Amino acid sequence: MIEKPIKDYDKEVKNCSCSYCGNNCDDITYLLKNDEIVGVRHACRIGASKIINDQDQRLLSPMIRNDEGILEETTWDVALDKTARLLHNSTRPVLYGWGETSVEAIKKGIKIAEITGSVIDNQSTICHGTSIQAFQNVGHPVMTLGEVKNRADVIVYVGTNPMDDHPRHLSRYTTFPEGFFRRNGRQDRTIITLDPKYTNTAKVSDKWIQFNMDEDYLLFNALRMLLKGEELEEKEVAGVSTQQLEELIKIMKNAEYGALFFGLGVSQTLAKQKNVDVLIQLIEDLNRYSKWSMLPMRGFFNVSGFNIALTSETGYPYGVDFSRGYPRFMVGETTTIDLLNRREPDFFMAVSADPGVQFPGYTIKHLVNIPTIQVDTHWGPYTELSDIVLPSTRVGVETEGTAYRMDSIPLFMKKVIDKPKNCHSDEWILTELYKRIEQLKQEDE
Amino acid sequence: MKVIVNTGTSIIQAFYEKKGSTLKNEYRQATAVAFMDLRDMQKLSLKSRDKIKIKSEWGEVVLYADVSYDAPHEGIIFIPKGPWANIIISPETYCCNVPTYKGIPAEITKTDEEVLLVSELMNKVYNKYNLNNSNLSEKPLYKKKGDEQ
Repeated sequence: MIEKPIKDYDKEVKNCSCSYCGNNCDDITYLLKNDEIVGVRHACRIGASKIINDQDQRLLSPMIRNDEGILEETTWDVALDKTARLLHNSTRPVLYGWGETSVEAIKKGIKIAEITGSVIDNQSTICHGTSIQAFQNVGHPVMTLGEVKNRADVIVYVGTNPMDDHPRHLSRYTTFPEGFFRRNGRQDRTIITLDPKYTNTAKVSDKWIQFNMDEDYLLFNALRMLLKGEELEEKEVAGVSTQQLEELIKIMKNAEYGALFFGLGVSQTLAKQKNVDVLIQLIEDLNRYSKWSMLPMRGFFNVSGFNIALTSETGYPYGVDFSRGYPRFMVGETTTIDLLNRREPDFFMAVSADPGVQFPGYTIKHLVNIPTIQVDTHWGPYTELSDIVLPSTRVGVETEGTAYRMDSIPLFMKKVIDKPKNCHSDEWILTELYKRIEQLKQEDE
Repeated sequence: MKVIVNTGTSIIQAFYEKKGSTLKNEYRQATAVAFMDLRDMQKLSLKSRDKIKIKSEWGEVVLYADVSYDAPHEGIIFIPKGPWANIIISPETYCCNVPTYKGIPAEITKTDEEVLLVSELMNKVYNKYNLNNSNLSEKPLYKKKGDEQ
């Protein structure tokens, strides 16, 4: 199907920042007619779908479950009072989400976690949490995406498929744009993809190396050995021939500026943070021969912002437990999935996140037994499990805010259209909740 | 047939998820799909969009089968992340906070059972509110203010 370009609009808003993935493309143009977004320029397919959006599943009023188990519309005061009371009276609350909201709202969330003794956690806990652990173990040879664009001549993607989940990554930052030292764009660069599947990214790469699933750790260690000049006795490692590995190491060693991006294919498989540990060590070793750096492919547009905001407030990146009155962070103990698997929490609030889409079924089963609150813009799988629903607004479209790109660059996101009448921003909802909880605390004393 | 399950983002699944149409058939068609190597499909004499039941240690779910455009990956099936894939993936974090979303051993068989819509699936699998499944559809089920029923 070929769609015709949109010509029927009366206003253009330029330089908006997209609110889908960690690329945070800030060159988006919104096309407006009668204060409604009718078109988007420069955005990828997913970004455009998030900005234009279906409205028939939009949450428009606060709702509470009635006795029959059906959500019923109510007023903000009733919904907020009930939420505040539930949160105030619980002993092990978990506040989860935050990946798709602004840093301003996150700061309010941290304040609520502190006065209620909650665990506050974000989507890192199910995606790049293991990468953050590895950075703490080994270090992080960091870079910005601008450096890659201007300098990189060898780009390696490991266990990630940006053509599907960060669609403009290749065209805006790494592969296709012309850079200061890479005048011919794509022709000056070598792209290598390591993935068990022949992904869409592999299809546009110069080289695709297929390896066996769950054998990443073995593969990266073999690469390190080859780099150090050792010989491999095996003919094949993780399903890859030794000759192919030797060729790969040769290309990496001879790079002028190398950039490695890794995704959930590395951080979610069996060896988890150990995979990333050894990958970082490989990059460190490569720096003896050439300049190499690496970045995790962060998913949501502000998932990295939460880690930065929480680290600056508490000293820990995610999964922070305030139950003792001071922040504690213990991997496997104060992190959401482990808490839910142990059936510990007695209150669960998801802010701009959908655990129904993200959590394993076994983990979700605990949400059936405890009060659950949803703060989000759209009806999703999690709404089917929520006792109270608080409708919020979309950052970067209906609300302004700050978000951090995957390379930790903060970007301002504009407000372009008005919010639906009865919705409020995450920041407003959390401020109101904070006020009500403080009041309840005073009444207790 | 024994397979290894790989989950992840596909651009079509992400498109419908971000568009905010998770309850609808279009999201089911994009997400409740197991993308298989053609050779694996032939072994089970499956045609595109036939239904299969996938069973892992953690649960079982009915999905559509389809030809993978990322083949060859014999013995591996790819399911876009979402409520259907969640049922069969492993919640085991090995004390590292990230559940094991990729590389789950599972068994697949051909079936005639229906692939459920999101609202039906959440109600049937988790059954939090004992709702009657026949009331659930592609439209959100809620009472508007002042609605008397």
